Amino acid sequence: MVRRVKNLLKTKHINLSHSATQKKPSDKQATLTYTINENIEYFRSIYANCSDVVFRPILIGGVIQAYLLYIDGLANVEEADEQILNPLMNSSAKNTNEMMNMLENKIPVTNLRKLSTLPECIDSISTGNPLLLCDGINIGYSLCLAKWEKRAIGEPTAEVGIKGPREGFTETINVSTSQLRRIIKSPSLKMEELFIGQLTKTKVVISYIEGIANHNLIEEVHNRLERIKIDGILDSGYIEELIEDHPYSPFPQILSTERPDVVCSNLLEGRVAILVDGTPFVIIAPTTFFSLLQSHEDYYQRFPISSAVRWLRYLFLIISVLLPSLYVAILTFHHEMVPTALLLSVAASREAVPFPALVEALMMEVTFEALREAGIRLPKQVGAAVSIVGALVIGQAAVQAGLVSAPMVIVVAITGIASFMIPRYAMGIGFRILRFPIIFLAGALGLLGVMMGIIAIIVHLSTIRSFGVPYLSPLAPLKGSELKDTLIRAPWWKLKTRPHLTGEYNKNRQSPGLKPDPSKGGE
Amino acid sequence: MDKGRISSMQMGMMMYLTIIATAILTVPSITAKYAQKDLWLSPIWASIIGFFTVIIVIQLSKRFPRQTFFQICEHTIGTLATKLLGFLYFTFFLIASGQITRTYAEFIKVFFIKTPVSVIMISMLLLSAFTVIAGIEVIGRVAQFFFPIFIFSVFIIIFLLLPQLEPSNIFPILENGLLPSLKGAIIPQVWFGELFLIVFLLPSLSDSKGMKWGIFTVLLILVTFIITNITVLFILNQNTEFYIYPFLSATQLVNLGDFIESIEPIIIAIWILGTFIKITVFYYVTILTTAQWLKLSDYKPIVWPIGILIVEVSVWGVPNLMVNNHIDITVFPLLFPIMQTFIPLFILGVAMIRKKSKTLEVH
Repeated sequence: MVRRVKNLLKTKHINLSHSATQKKPSDKQATLTYTINENIEYFRSIYANCSDVVFRPILIGGVIQAYLLYIDGLANVEEADEQILNPLMNSSAKNTNEMMNMLENKIPVTNLRKLSTLPECIDSISTGNPLLLCDGINIGYSLCLAKWEKRAIGEPTAEVGIKGPREGFTETINVSTSQLRRIIKSPSLKMEELFIGQLTKTKVVISYIEGIANHNLIEEVHNRLERIKIDGILDSGYIEELIEDHPYSPFPQILSTERPDVVCSNLLEGRVAILVDGTPFVIIAPTTFFSLLQSHEDYYQRFPISSAVRWLRYLFLIISVLLPSLYVAILTFHHEMVPTALLLSVAASREAVPFPALVEALMMEVTFEALREAGIRLPKQVGAAVSIVGALVIGQAAVQAGLVSAPMVIVVAITGIASFMIPRYAMGIGFRILRFPIIFLAGALGLLGVMMGIIAIIVHLSTIRSFGVPYLSPLAPLKGSELKDTLIRAPWWKLKTRPHLTGEYNKNRQSPGLKPDPSKGGE
Repeated sequence: MDKGRISSMQMGMMMYLTIIATAILTVPSITAKYAQKDLWLSPIWASIIGFFTVIIVIQLSKRFPRQTFFQICEHTIGTLATKLLGFLYFTFFLIASGQITRTYAEFIKVFFIKTPVSVIMISMLLLSAFTVIAGIEVIGRVAQFFFPIFIFSVFIIIFLLLPQLEPSNIFPILENGLLPSLKGAIIPQVWFGELFLIVFLLPSLSDSKGMKWGIFTVLLILVTFIITNITVLFILNQNTEFYIYPFLSATQLVNLGDFIESIEPIIIAIWILGTFIKITVFYYVTILTTAQWLKLSDYKPIVWPIGILIVEVSVWGVPNLMVNNHIDITVFPLLFPIMQTFIPLFILGVAMIRKKSKTLEVH
C-alpha cells in the first residue's frame, strides 16, 4: 500500500518536472532558434513566476539585440558588469560574424561554453552560469561566472581530534574535490560526476584511485547510483540508504565522514568515495565493522598508544551494549556471581527502590537517550540547562528520592560514556538501540537471554556484506595479514600491504625495509 | 544447493566447537566410570576413530570431488540403496539433533530451574534456524568468531584452577592394565566420529586443504580432551564419575583473591556459544541431508518444518536427563560409529573394489 502511494508520488514528480520543460519543445533535443525574441519568449514561459531570474536586454555595438540571463545571487554580478557588459556594449561589431568573433576571442572569461539545446541552457542558468543569447545565431554562450555565498572551510564538528589535519569538507562539492586533489596530486585520482534527483539535480562525484580500486567495485557503485530515481537528494544519507546491501540492519554499512584525510586514506586502500553536493559528509564504500571502530587519530599517534586505545574502545563497545543488561540479569537471576560484600552494598542501595531492576534500567536508559537527543536539538543558550537538569535532577535527586539506586545511575553513566567512545556516530547509535532488546532479554531469561542476544547480533553481523566485503572481515572470514590493522595498529613501517578485498590489484603500499634505524641514516 | 564457500580453517573451527562443546561437559564423567584414573588416556584411543573417519571421508571426496554424500552413494551402490540410506541418515541426524538440543537444555536447566525446557530449546533453535537459512558461509564466520573466545576462556579457567591442582592424583598410571582406558574410550569415540559431518561441508570448501585441517582438528580436539580430563582428574580425583558435569563442578572451586569466584555463569555463557555452533551444524546437516536425499532444489523451505521436528524429538524422544545419559551410554556408542564411520567405510570399499571415481566434468 505504502509502496503504491510512493509510486504514485514518484510518477507525479516526474510529471511535474516534465510539465516544466514541456511548454513548447518537449523533447530533450529541442534547440535554440535564430530569432532572439522566440528564444526569450520560451525562457520567460519556463521561468514564469521566478522572480530571481534576471533578463537583462542589451544592444551589442548598438545594433545587435542580445539578452543576458542569470539567477540573482548565483552569478558574479561585478565580474559580469566588468568583463561582459562593458566590452559588449562598447564593441564595434556590426554583424553576427564580427560579434561571434569578438565574443570568442575578446571576452575575458576563463570558461566559455557554446550551447545549442534548450535543456543545456537551462542547466547552465540553474548552476549559476549566466547565459548570453544574441539575435541571429542559434547558439547560447554560457559564461563561467557562477558565484554564491558559501561557508568557509572549518574544523569538522562531528569528528574532532587532537592530532591531524584540522580542515573539514564544506557543502560545496567543488571545494571538496579540490581538497581531495590537494592531498592526492596524482592524475590517477579520478572524479566521475553524475547528477541524481529529478528536481534537485544534485551533483554526485565518484572518486577513486585508478590502479588501486577494484574495477568491479567501481562498476558496482556506478550501477547502484544510476539505479536511483528520486525527486531530490539533500544529504549523502539519502544515497547511503538507497545503495546499501542490508537496508533493515541497524548497523551502517557505509562509512560517512567529513574529513578529507579520512577519505584519502580510504582511497589509498582501494575504496570508493561518493561526494554529494550540498553536504559536507562524504560516504565511502565498502566498509567493515572494524573500520567503523577506527579513528583517524589512530594513524597519527604513536602505534603502541593507538593499539592500546583500540583495545580500550573494543572493551567499551562491549560495555556499551552489555553492561545494563548484565546488571539486570545478575540482580534478577544470578546473585551468586557477585562477591558477597559487593552484593550486600548493592542490595542496601536498592532497598528503597520500588521497581524491579528491569524497569529501573529501562527508565534510566530511556531518560539518558532523551537527554542525549535533547542536548543535540537544544539551542546553545539553553544547553546548559539540560546538563543541570540531567546531572542534578536525574542523578542526585532521583537517588535521594529513592526512585532509582545509585549503582544504576553509575551503570547508565558508564554505558553512556562507553557508547560515545565509538568514533563513528552511526555505529554508536546502532549499538545503543540494540541495548534495549538485550535488556528485555536479560530481564526475561537472565544470562541465557543476554547470550541469545549476543549470538543474534554476531550472526547478523556475519550475514552483512558491504559491497561484497564481509562485514566482520578480517576476523571472520579470517585474513591473517590484515589483523595488523585490526587487533592492533601496527607501526607504519609494518603496514606494507593494502587490505585484501579492496586493494588486491595493487597490493604493496610501501617499499620494504622502511623500519627506521640509526645505522640506515645517511646512506 | 548452498552457494556459499567456506575455508578449510573455518570447517576445522566449526567441527572443533561442534565436538568439544558438549564433550567437555559429560564425557569426563562417563569416561571416568570405566577408566577410573586412566581417563586421560582414553581420548587417545578414541581419537583413532576420529583420524580414521577423516581419512575415509577425505578419500571419498578425493574420488568424487564436489559431489554430495548421496551423489557419491548413487555412483557406488545404486539409486534404490541410496534412497534407503538417505532415510536412515535423515532419521539419524534428526535424532542426533534432538538429543543434542536436549542435552543443551538439561544443562541450562541446572541454572534456570524454573524455566521450562521447551523455552530454552525453542529459543536456541530459533537462532539456529535463522543461521541455517543464512547459509554455510555465515555458520563458518560465526564459528570463526566464537572459536578464539571459546578456546581462550577454557584455558583461562584451567589457568585459574592451577592452585587447586593435585598432580599426584594421576598415580597410579595403568593400575589395571590397558583395558579400563580402552573401555573408557568407547564413549568419547562417539564424539570423534562426528567428524563425519565434514562430508557435507567438503563440497563447500573454497580451498583444497581439507585433509590437513581435518587431521589438525582431530589433534586439537584430542589435546583439549586430554587437558580437560587431566584437570578434572587433578581436582576431583576418583570422584569424577559421581559428578554429572565434572568440569563445571571443578570450576566452582575457582577462587582468586576472594574476588574472582563462582564463575560458573561465565562457563555457561561460553558454553552456550559452543553449543550454538553444535546445534546449528547438526541442524544444517539434517536440513542438507533431507534436501539432498529428496533432491530438493532449495533447502530453505524445509528449515522451519524440520526445526519443529527437532523440537518434538527432543521433547518426546528424550523425556529427562537420566534417559538422555542412558541413550548416551547404551545406544550412541553403537549407532554413531555405524552411521558415521562404518557406512562411509563400506561405501569407500565398494568404490575402491568397483574402481569407481568421478573427476570433475568440464561443461
